[in-house]
Amino acid sequence: MTERPVRVGVDVGGTKILAGVVDADGVVQEVAVRRTPGRTSSVLLLESTVAEAVEEVVEGRPVAAVGLAAAGFVDGAGERVMFAPHLPWRGEAVRRRLEAALGAPVLLDNDANAAGWAEHRYGAARGASLSLTVTVGTGIGGAVVLGPDGGAAEPRLLRGRNGMAGEFGHQQVVPDGVACECGGRGCWEQYASGNALVAFARARVGREPTVLDDWCGGVPDRLTGPMVTDAAAAGDLVALQAFGHVGDWLGVGIANLVASLDPEVVVVGGGVSAVGDLLLDPARAALARCLVGAPHRVVPRLLPAELGPEAAIVGAAALAAARFGRPSAAR
Amino acid sequence: MSLACGIDIGGTKIAGGVVDDDGNVLARLRAESPATSSAAIADTVVGLVRELARAHPVDRVGVGAAGFIDAGRSTVLFAPNLAWREEPLGAELSSRLGLPVVIENDANAAAWGEFAFGAGRHHDSDLLLVTVGTGVGGGIVADGALRRGAFGIAAEIGHLRVVHGGRLCGCGNHGCWEQYASGSALVRSAREEARGSLLARALVDRAGGDVDAITGPMITELAAAGDAFCIEQLADLGQWLGEGISSLVAVLDPGVVVVGGGVSAAGDLLMASLRETFLRTLSGRGHRPAPEIRLAELGNDAGMIGAADLARR
Repeated sequence: MTERPVRVGVDVGGTKILAGVVDADGVVQEVAVRRTPGRTSSVLLLESTVAEAVEEVVEGRPVAAVGLAAAGFVDGAGERVMFAPHLPWRGEAVRRRLEAALGAPVLLDNDANAAGWAEHRYGAARGASLSLTVTVGTGIGGAVVLGPDGGAAEPRLLRGRNGMAGEFGHQQVVPDGVACECGGRGCWEQYASGNALVAFARARVGREPTVLDDWCGGVPDRLTGPMVTDAAAAGDLVALQAFGHVGDWLGVGIANLVASLDPEVVVVGGGVSAVGDLLLDPARAALARCLVGAPHRVVPRLLPAELGPEAAIVGAAALAAARFGRPSAAR
Repeated sequence: MSLACGIDIGGTKIAGGVVDDDGNVLARLRAESPATSSAAIADTVVGLVRELARAHPVDRVGVGAAGFIDAGRSTVLFAPNLAWREEPLGAELSSRLGLPVVIENDANAAAWGEFAFGAGRHHDSDLLLVTVGTGVGGGIVADGALRRGAFGIAAEIGHLRVVHGGRLCGCGNHGCWEQYASGSALVRSAREEARGSLLARALVDRAGGDVDAITGPMITELAAAGDAFCIEQLADLGQWLGEGISSLVAVLDPGVVVVGGGVSAAGDLLMASLRETFLRTLSGRGHRPAPEIRLAELGNDAGMIGAADLARR
């Protein structure tokens, strides 16, 4: 008896690489995690780390398709990562090389596109006529998804002319503001991402009373996003202020996106969103305050992602399965 | 060949035209806009369509109006400068005219006009229109279709917040893009900086010695004649536009950005600094294709032509 081929989703983020086997209903069966080699490490190391994570989670089973979701600008053909602020890829032919390394068909897409597609297909944006998904992690990614219409059974990603739409984190919210890894200044993700959350807390360690002082051994650089999340859950005032501050900026930027695109639903996902209303309530307040014409229009619902940190692997696996055929067809 | 009537309702004028399948305007009429009365506006539109239909067999009507239009393309939900609140304009016009009528946001209609027949006609899928007039407006074509949003209110791009705690906007918020990148912003900045500036002497003279009488066309006219102060005013405006367009391109990734509206008449005096700033601030520049940035080609007809064509879709 031969084993059923599995479908795999991989999320290559700025902090970690997550690989998972995902079933036909979008349910994650097993996952493997690796730390992401830094943006100054070699492309070879990054790609071999991705391959290791996939091999670990597959455990020798046949593979029907791999969906690779990358935190960066993917070209329109889905062949190359043109630019990734938090990763070493610069115009690399990532899809072809990983296909060769893994011996299975690989689909490459932007990580937030994968997450947005998953949320629209299986999660918080099910049934919406138009949804935005904002992924708040190391940076900020985004996706624009049109609901099923005109007889099409599946939602559809709006990708733009060159496949690079949805780079929400790089809309400018402060003229000549904080320098961004992308080379710009004042990008939204410098104010409303996991990096911004940590920067807010680091600036207060040693100056204001906070449990974070002990947790990072008095060394602000050792402070991490999960520490701030845990401190907020424990009621730490500085950590709570950090989420209030980042949540407010999140809502400000979402108001800009809603002014441009007028979605029915905005889904907030990514690692930082795991705290839920602690982040979303200030974001909702800022959205209602900043959105143009708010008293005369429907303000879209701002919802937490349902698929959590696994949204991108669920979406990537589903997009890959749709491209390369479903496991049932290969039985 | 079918003929549609396109109507563009502005703050001061209502323009109407007979438009063929190829976007050609076969006949046109204009009337004063009785902006204070919704019933009078409807009467004026009905009069224009009947007059135009006398000589041309139009089989449908597309109306572009400044305001929030419902997703059914029939009701004006809210119009900041006109008399409408929840006004069922489409149904009223349709029953009086005996023709199918669709209502579109005027900037959306102009975006469609430029996409189908104007500066975007060589592009097949994704266009962003930015109109620079009294305010800043726009329209979005993505994947070959006009994107009106889930509730019909997309592309209110003049109200992107670009400055934290910035200038108060008519919409009630602070720091909206149109407070920095519109024709009104151009005039305000020129008036502020002209006070007491020796460099602004030619402009102040042109305004009859009264700084508060400075207008946008005066600035453009003097800039075209080589006046350094006016050239700088337009270049500053171009920078604000270029930065905001960078943000929108990060979000939308269009193949072409079309710049229209009255202020775009300044041409390269505006567009050179706009393009330079855009290319300098686009996220991922050097690693991604940058969209073409073009001046609009249909001028004041864009909304009328676009509305007429949208009535067929």
